[in-house]
Order: sequence, then C-alpha cells, then structure tokens
Amino acid sequence: MLEFFLSLWSSWGDYTIRMVALGAAVLGVISGVLGCYAVLRRQALLGDAMSHAALPGIVLAYLLFGTRDLGILLLGAAAAGWLAAFLLLSITRHTHLKEDTVLGLLLSVFFGFGMVLLAFAQKQPTAAQAGLSRFLFGQAATVVERDVLTMAGIGALALVLVALFWKEFKLLSFDPDYAATLGLPVRLLDVGLTSLIVVAVVVGLQMVGVVLMSAMLVAPAVAARQWTDRLGTMLLLAGLFGAVAGIVGAVLSASARGLSTGPMIVLSVSSIVLFSLLFAPRRGLVWHWFQRQRNARRLRWAMQHGDVPPSVPVMPPADAPPDPRIAEQKGASR
Amino acid sequence: MTSQQEVQLIAAVIAAACALPGVFLVLRRMAMMSDAISHTVLFGIVVGFLLTRDLGSPLLFLGAVLTGVLTVSLVELLNQTRLVKQDAAIGLVFPVLFSIAVILISRFAGNVHLDTDAVLLGELAYAPFDRVEWQGIDLGPRALLVGSGVLLFNLGFIGLFYKELKLATFDPALAATFGFLPVLLHYSLMVIVSVTAVAAFDAVGSILVIALMIAPPATAYLLTERLGTMLWLSMLIGVASALAGYWLAWVLDVSIAGSMATMTGVLFVGAFLFAPERGLVATAHRRTRQRWAFAQQLLVVHLHNHAGSSDEAEECSPAALHGHLRWSPDFAAQVLQRAERNGIVRRDAERLWLTEQGRKLAQGTGVGG
Amino acid sequence: MMHQSHQSHQSHQLQPVPPPTLPAAVPAVAVSDLTVAYREQPVLWDIDLHVPTGVLLAIVGPNGAGKTTLMKAVLGLVKPAAGQVAIFGAPYHQQRQRVGYVPQRGSVDWDFPTSVLDVVMMGRYGALGWFRRPGRNERDLALAALQQVKLEAYAARQISQLSGGQQQRVFLARALVQDADIYLMDEPFQGVDAVTERAIIELLRELRARGKTVVVVHHDLQTVPEYFDWVTLLNVRRIAHGPVAEVFTEANLSRTYGGRTTAMPSR
Repeated sequence: MLEFFLSLWSSWGDYTIRMVALGAAVLGVISGVLGCYAVLRRQALLGDAMSHAALPGIVLAYLLFGTRDLGILLLGAAAAGWLAAFLLLSITRHTHLKEDTVLGLLLSVFFGFGMVLLAFAQKQPTAAQAGLSRFLFGQAATVVERDVLTMAGIGALALVLVALFWKEFKLLSFDPDYAATLGLPVRLLDVGLTSLIVVAVVVGLQMVGVVLMSAMLVAPAVAARQWTDRLGTMLLLAGLFGAVAGIVGAVLSASARGLSTGPMIVLSVSSIVLFSLLFAPRRGLVWHWFQRQRNARRLRWAMQHGDVPPSVPVMPPADAPPDPRIAEQKGASR
Repeated sequence: MTSQQEVQLIAAVIAAACALPGVFLVLRRMAMMSDAISHTVLFGIVVGFLLTRDLGSPLLFLGAVLTGVLTVSLVELLNQTRLVKQDAAIGLVFPVLFSIAVILISRFAGNVHLDTDAVLLGELAYAPFDRVEWQGIDLGPRALLVGSGVLLFNLGFIGLFYKELKLATFDPALAATFGFLPVLLHYSLMVIVSVTAVAAFDAVGSILVIALMIAPPATAYLLTERLGTMLWLSMLIGVASALAGYWLAWVLDVSIAGSMATMTGVLFVGAFLFAPERGLVATAHRRTRQRWAFAQQLLVVHLHNHAGSSDEAEECSPAALHGHLRWSPDFAAQVLQRAERNGIVRRDAERLWLTEQGRKLAQGTGVGG
Repeated sequence: MMHQSHQSHQSHQLQPVPPPTLPAAVPAVAVSDLTVAYREQPVLWDIDLHVPTGVLLAIVGPNGAGKTTLMKAVLGLVKPAAGQVAIFGAPYHQQRQRVGYVPQRGSVDWDFPTSVLDVVMMGRYGALGWFRRPGRNERDLALAALQQVKLEAYAARQISQLSGGQQQRVFLARALVQDADIYLMDEPFQGVDAVTERAIIELLRELRARGKTVVVVHHDLQTVPEYFDWVTLLNVRRIAHGPVAEVFTEANLSRTYGGRTTAMPSR
C-alpha cells in the first residue's frame, strides 16, 4: 500500500502521467454521475451501443473537415451517438422488436459502417488518420492539457445541467407517467438526459475506447448504489468512485509496461464494484450472510427456550430488501 | 477454387451458422448476450494460448467456449443477487474479461499474432491461406472447415430440440412443467452461441459476430412470426448480407467485415421500410385506408349510442361531429360523404340517421351497445 | 372566481356551448364521445361520462376493457382518436393542479434510491415549477400527507423496505400532497391486505366528505356497493354509468362481462 502511494507521488511529477490521471479522473466523475441515470432507467447498455455507434461519426467528421481537432471529431461522435439513440427509440416504437435486439443491431451495424469509412480515411494521403483508430481502444497517453481542459469544461456543463434539472430528472427516472401528469415536458427531458449520456460516452472515447466505455457508465453507478439509498449521495459516490478508479488505473498503468490505461481503469472501477457488492452494509452479500447466521442463532435459541429472546424479534431486519415472493396478497388473506 | 471464392464461401457458411442461434437470442430478449460473449471469448483464447503457447491448439477453442459460458453464468450470478439488474450485469461483466484479455496480450503475448485490432475486425481476407492438410491432401481453409462444422452442429442441435426450444422460448413455465428443463436448454443454447461466436470470431471479428447473429434474425422477424420460417429466412438474409458485403468491400476496397455488417443493416432498413405487412410503407398505407373505415365506424357507433337519448338531436347532427368528436370540419364532411355513399348513414337537414345497414354495423363493432 | 373566468374563457376557445340538457353544475370530469385506438384497434369506443363533483366512482369491467386506458386518456397520457375530456369544464392541461393521480403500484421500480418522504414531495414538483427545489413548506405538506395515510413513522425509509400496502399508501400520500379536487386512482387495492384496504377506503370517504371527487379503477365487484356511490361499467364501450343503486344490476353486469354472471357479488 505504502509502495503504491510512493509510486503515485513520484509519478505525479511526470507530465504525461499527470495529464492521463487528471483526464481519467474527469472522465470518471462525468461518466459516474451520468451513468447513475443510465443504470436507474435500465439503459445500462445504451452507453455501449452509443460508444460503438460513435465511430462512423468520428471518421465522417474527419473525412468532411479534414482535421484531427479533438473537438470536431467528438462533435461527429456525439452526432452519431445521438442518431443511434434516436433510431433506438423509433425502431422500437414502429416494430415489435425488443430493445436489446435493436441495441445489438445498431451497435454492430454502425460500427461496421464506421470500419468501412475508416478504410476510406486510411487511404487519404495525409498521415493524420493514424489518430483515428485510437478511439477503438482509447489512447490515454495522447491526452494533453488542452484535452483535459476540454473534457473538464464539457463535464462541468453537464454537471450544472444535472443540478439545474435535478428534481425533473429524478422524477423522470422514477415515474415518467406521473411526471407527465404534473405537466413536465417528459419527451424533452428524456432527450436532454439522453444527450447528456451521449456527452459522457463521447468524452470517454479517447480515454478508454469504444469497447470499454460501457463499464465507465455502469460500474461506478452500480458500486455507489450499494452504499446509499439516496439519489444525491449515489451520484456523488459514483463520481468519486469514477475519479478514484481513473487516477488509480492511470497510475498503475504507468507503473509497468504493457498495462494499457483503458483496461486498467476498467479493472480498478470493477474492483470497487466487487468490493461494494460484497461488503456494503445492509445490501452487501457478506452482510446478508451474517444477518442470516444471526437469525438462525436466534431461532435456535427461541426453540430451545420456547420463547424469543427479549427485544430481538425473529424476523428479517426491517430494512432488508423485500422478497417479492412474500409480498402481501389480498387474495391469499381471504 | 480461387481464394476469392473461398472467402465468399467462408463468409456465407459463418453467416448461416450465426443466424441460427441468433434467432433464439432475439426471441428470448438476450440479444446483448451476443455482444458480451463475442467480446469475452478473447479472454478464453488468450488464457488458452498462454497455457499452450500454441495458437493452433484446440485448447484455445475450448477455453473460448468455456469463457462464453462463464460470461453467461457471471451475468446470471450478479442478476440473482438482486443487487444488479440484468442489463447492468452484462455491462459490468464483459468489459472486465475483455480488459484482462487485453492486458494479458500486451504483457505476455505482445509479439504473437493476437493483436487487438484483429479482435474487433477479423481477417477474413487472409482466411484462405490458413489451410488444413491431412496426409499431404489439402482439405481446404481451416475457417471453412470449422465454420461448416459449427453450421452442421447448430443445424443438428436445433433440428433435434426444435419443439423443446420453441416451447422454452415462448412459454418457459409450460416447458418446465413438461420436464423440458428450460435451464439446461438455456445453457445449451449459450454453449451454442459461444461455439459459434468463437468459430466466427477468428474469421470476422467480434463486431461482425454480433451483426451476423442479431441483424438477420431481426430482419426476418419483421417478415414473419413463424419460428420455422424465421430460421431459414435468417440464414438466407445472413448469407445474402455476407455475399453483398463481400462484393461491396471488393468494389470499394474497404474492410470486408465492416462492409458485411453494413449490408446486414441495409437489408434491415429495407425490411423496416418495405416489409409487406409490417414495413413502414405498408403500415402507412394501411393506416390511411383504415382511418376512413375507422372514422365511419366511429360515426355509426356515435349515432347508435345517442339514438333515443335525451341529447339525440344535439349529438346526431353534422355539427356535433366537429364539436364533440373533435373532427375538423373538412374531415367530418368527408367521412359523412363516404358514409352516405356506403349507405350506412342517412342525412336529413341537420339530423343524421342510421340506416338499417348502419345499425347492424354499429351493433357488430365492439361489445355491448 | 378563478374557476369562473376559466370557464368563460374556455367556452370561446375550445369548448362548444354546453348543451342545455347538461346538469347545471359543471361536472368534475366530463368525457364526451371519447374513442381511443391502438394501431387502429379501438380500445375505447365513443365513451360518454359525466362524473358529478363529490362522488366516489368505481370503474369496473373485465380485463382488456380499457379501464386504465380511460384513466390515461383523462390524464392526457394517451391521445384519443376522437372526442374530448374536460376537467371542471376545461381541458386537462389547464387544470393539472386540480387533479391527483395514483398510478398502479407495479408501474415503477421500487428499488429506486429514494426515501418515502422524497416520493411524497414529488407531488409538489408540478406546483413548484422549474429550478426551484422543494423546501421546508413542501416537507411539511409531505409529512402531513404521510400522517393522513399513517406512514409518518416511515418518512425516512428507503421505499423498497415497504410492504405492498405501504407502497400503495405512499402513492396515495403523493397524490394527497397535490391538494387536488379530483383524484384518479388505478387499482389502489391491488395486492394490499385487508387492513390497508379498510384504511384506504376510509381515506377516500374522508376525501369525499371534503367535497373531493374520487375515481377508482376497481377489480373486486363484491365490494362495489359497499365502497362506492357511483359506478361505471366498461367494456370497450360504456355499458352503464350512474349511481350504484341504479346501474349496478345483474343485467348490466352480465352485459359487461359477456354473460359470465359468476362475477356477480353473490359469493
């Protein structure tokens, strides 16, 4: 542990590592916060589809504008990701195909089309296209100060929007029909929130790449959910987990050869998930196991003594997740 | 056979092999499992390679298939804790295994032919050069042999367990009461998906595996609802996309896998727009036709409901169609005209009456009345 | 006063002059000639309903009769193919503040990370408007509503820790906090125990006593005469609508349920 912090400290002096770590941290905050909405609205795989779908947008932007400027390429990515989200909505509305099918379809077809375009781009005489394939697996090492500032700017804007529309986004995620009866413009809010998720995906492409982006959205949110029952806390924690994983992953990847940054970040954040699933109080699996053991002991005690021990009811804890199988049934009680 | 023909044959065989399990993935709402499995098989291949140090070892194949099953089991394990929903579980599991695979490659197998670009895209164009020989006789490209084997395996499995699969897909509870063991079938299907993904992965890369497994069945599902038809139609569409994609790639000189995936999308869009019953065009056409029929029905039901009521004079007038039904004056006039022509409504100054035929129509639609 | 001005403003723009046969008082809910269709298949055929102010109305009918659709059409959640809905004489979007909605319990994910008090405060979001956060006032209103449904002790609980009946009461409290004049409830008795059912019906009667109008999608025919004073029998069309004593007859029920009179409250 101490060794790790020492290496963290010494590597902080290195400009590249510092930029990568900062970039990863910024990405972690953005994707962690916005990923919460994706996970709560059961759109966890939307990020995966959108990140794959972004590829043709990036290449097309490059072909059209002939520039490697990150801002332009990311605008292309955002447009394509947004188009994929729109198509998902309209295909599921107009056919009987299920959402998962349409996600898989869009993901692979968009990506395939992106590869076709990429082949065109690679035939261009300029050598600049070499930078395009970095989006496949992400190339954190190419991140410079300006990129970090761009990411931070975009991220700050996204977070401000989340804060401004806090109660609207919350109600939309929990009960959209009810939100509509209160007069909230549900469609518009939906488009807005989806666009923010597109932003998070796009920001992450350069850092972790197309394939691993979905983990950056899903993992911090899942981990954070285990520690709290409040949306606000969940968002804060997810942002924190994302940032920590970003920094740890970046520093670890710099510590030895062959540890790619994207995968190291994903493994860091996934370790946080594993730890949370196991050890989070009240929801964690280990906690539940202990709870069951204690209940069993109480039950044994009660059977031996013909009575329950004073002030310790033989019951599942009141704050355990309810078991749907034992939900009250009106029919059964009559 | 020229190598060009061989590439096409390989692509067609793999497309057909992918379409078969794909149909069940689409019907069982597990399409994204193909996304997960096609990415994680890399993990199995890498581990297999690190153990054997031989890219041709059958252990790699076994490892990849086992990883596919591991992926599915991990997703379900997470799902069963009720702490994580299924879609999030998929989104958690496959990046982890993929990340480990990428790191293992770059750390321990960096100099070997296992680069990550090929993982996503495959190298179909080179497939004919990897040939299998037996006692000096050339048996053909390895990818073709493996692909054909998997295709036959899939055909055999689905042929044998057709009715069990059908029932388990459409009514798992009933299948269980018949003793069909839906869980066992489920995992068998996942083994099939993994085997197919591994076989296809080598030649066409993970993304095209998803395209070939999901897009043709999705397209076929727009054209038919019968499982049998859907199966052979998916194979047909998959093969057609593969061949069309090959030629597109040849003409444009671009990635074969990418252009095949693009063609599966093109065929899907074709079906989405022009499917005879379900396509957007057919639906729009039917809508306009039904709109008039529906409006006339609505008119007779309205007149019938208010016949004999206290507000009859008010409700059964041309003005009420605009005021009460919220029809535009133009639309109301047109509906009325059509209804009169069809002899279901009689108009008499500012009152509308149902004819005998109209009354029958009104009583025939819906319940009660 | 407000109401009056709404009314006259209305009649010029959106509503034709009310027919003289209507009762003098403006009905709480007036559905006229409402037809709703999914993919050109009618789910509701030319429905006319006038719900007078201050009644407890049950909407009953077999599965697929369009009960929930009728409620959603009243709330403007589904777009009708024809016809219109008026809340106190004006379209829904002008009267939102006067309508409280209690959706089916199963329509949301109860594992959502939020507390009981938070869900109840959501009832104030419409009145709060953009950018304003719920404050002390909303908190007090929400606590008062929780007191009415006897859940004040649970205010800080995570919503997944509640039983089905308690979850239903949270939704009720969320509608109560809207301080509406009309309450629309979709199967509030679904999956709740007998004690909760009692408590809910007591609450509904209290609302009626305060002059509120309550419309309930209901499943249990047996309890209709005891709980409600008006009833709508629905099966795609309106089969009957009026005071329970008048229209809740064996003949009407058999028409609603297609002759299956076993559904009659005779068990």
